[in-house]
Amino acid sequence: MTRTPRADFWFSILLTAFGAVVTFESWRMPRLENLGIDPMSAPGLTPGLLGMVLTGLGLALFARGVRAEPNAEPAATEAGWERFAVTLALCLGYALILLGRVPFWMATAVFVAAFILAFTWREPPAWRTGLIGLVLALVVAVAVTLLFERVFLVRLP
Amino acid sequence: MDALIPLASAIGQIATPVSLFNVAWATLLGMCVGMMPGLTATLGIALLTTLTFRMGAGDAILILICMYVGAIYGGSRTAILLNIPGTPANAASALDGFPLARAGRAGEAMGLATVGSFFGSIIGLILLALIAPQLAEFGLKFQSYEFFWLAVFGVVISGRLTAMDDPLKGWIAGFLGLLLAQVGQEGIHAYQRFSYGSVDLAGGFGLLPALVGAFGFAEILCVMKQPAYRTVRDMGDRVLPRLRDVTTRWWTILRSGVLGTVMGIVPGVGEDMGAWVSYAAARRASREPESFGKGDTEGLIAAEAGNNAAVPGAIIPVLTLAVPGSAPAAVLLAAMFIHGVRPGPLIMIENPDFIMQVAAMLFWASVAILAFGLALTRPMLLVLRVRREHLMPIVFVLCVVGAFAIASRVFDVWVMLGFGVLGFALRQMNYPMAPLVLGIVLGDILDKNFRRGMVLSDGSFEPFVTRPISAVLAALTVMTILLGLGPVRRAISDVRRRRT
Repeated sequence: MTRTPRADFWFSILLTAFGAVVTFESWRMPRLENLGIDPMSAPGLTPGLLGMVLTGLGLALFARGVRAEPNAEPAATEAGWERFAVTLALCLGYALILLGRVPFWMATAVFVAAFILAFTWREPPAWRTGLIGLVLALVVAVAVTLLFERVFLVRLP
Repeated sequence: MDALIPLASAIGQIATPVSLFNVAWATLLGMCVGMMPGLTATLGIALLTTLTFRMGAGDAILILICMYVGAIYGGSRTAILLNIPGTPANAASALDGFPLARAGRAGEAMGLATVGSFFGSIIGLILLALIAPQLAEFGLKFQSYEFFWLAVFGVVISGRLTAMDDPLKGWIAGFLGLLLAQVGQEGIHAYQRFSYGSVDLAGGFGLLPALVGAFGFAEILCVMKQPAYRTVRDMGDRVLPRLRDVTTRWWTILRSGVLGTVMGIVPGVGEDMGAWVSYAAARRASREPESFGKGDTEGLIAAEAGNNAAVPGAIIPVLTLAVPGSAPAAVLLAAMFIHGVRPGPLIMIENPDFIMQVAAMLFWASVAILAFGLALTRPMLLVLRVRREHLMPIVFVLCVVGAFAIASRVFDVWVMLGFGVLGFALRQMNYPMAPLVLGIVLGDILDKNFRRGMVLSDGSFEPFVTRPISAVLAALTVMTILLGLGPVRRAISDVRRRRT
């Protein structure tokens, strides 16, 4: 039935705990009775019910995870996870660190160049790979900045 | 059939030079987006929404619809040539499209896919023009009780159909979406839920940043994690289909068009199910079902007619009930609200021409895919030569700008990143994204109508299950859940086996 039993097991625990916390937090929300408001329209009613539903679904997933056979999960390749980690680090670095601290076009040029070079620097000839990365980065940075600011009149981060 | 006269009139009214220019570039861009693995129709529409939100409503919605139709069609190219569906909607097309390409018939496959997509889309838009006004009128009977069940049923059926082999995961995704929509100021007493003093959280999670994250950033992470796909093969055969190839398959096209539209109407199910159901029906009806999956042109036509017919189908509930039929339709719904159009049961009273205008926009988008699909086959192969290492950083820059552009809030960029990581994690564990998106859209409808209903009924749940439409929706919800439960499914298959 499931191809990711180990991940499902841990996710079910997380989901059950999350659902329980949501239910508790919804219960703590004010009922606004002092304002003469019908308790059936209390703000915590719907999220509380949804929290309970998610707890129930988490428990169902947990019960299934306990019964599931181990080692049914396909092993991910190490190279794939390495590429994922590099991508995540570059994207988060651009969005959370570079943007807002340096001008948008410069941050974008640095990010695009770093991204391309990080994945293609091993490909010969090195000068050609590097040149493509740098030229593309500059073109993208200038084009996106001009297009959004001048044509679409959109504010950039 | 009287509805088709206003449709013809709307088609004529839209045909201005500016609109046709917009149709041309937006459809072409949509085809390119659909062709590139990692770029989906949902992401394309979300990004274009941020670019077009200063345009007039008519132009902006036309552009978004063209992007939608173009992207769903464009994905067939990648499915045929690379065996990688350009968008999830084209997975069924790869089954017969790729074997055809391997047999040296890639041009023929692309031509037939184009014609199938065109006719599927035309059938869908005709059904939209016929059904949507009736459905909007029916929607006027809906009160809080019915809207509550509509939201629950939408999430349950979407979770069931988008995760056929594991409905539990579909339901978890759907209810998680409903819960995420509860963050921020609620719509009855303006209480700030789960905001913990944060002004940003009090505003809630914006739908567009969430979608750009779940379909853009998550996709970038998925694409970069996978091994590189092979570069495109060339094709030397004819692209233009013979008239006989189309006329002999008119019944398959008609059936797939109707089935695709119906699947599109079902909340949160969308184009991929439209394609799969049409494909399965074509296989069942075929005299040679064993040839399906080995390069059967009928299977390819059925899949493509089905997924493109689901586009107008998914727009039908958007217009009439403000409930999206698919993830891209959810973005279209958000875009309509941004542009001051209020879809829902009142649309025939407040904006009676709008349904026909949307059908006319779909018509021109369909004409554009037919023209570009047949005329630009070889030049468009260049799109497939773009390397992911060059494309993905550009897509991420667009995701960041797109998330930020609507409200100029840095918080929206964080939302995009958060939903991207969440979307990636959920995909790795085989959770479908469509119910999550539908849940985010329907969360507010569910919350307001549940509490209103409970107040109106003095805290009694009775009207929720005794009013006729509510009772039907409640029964459908319970039936969908029961049929999705493992023991029930096993019992049904046991009974079937014994009978045979």
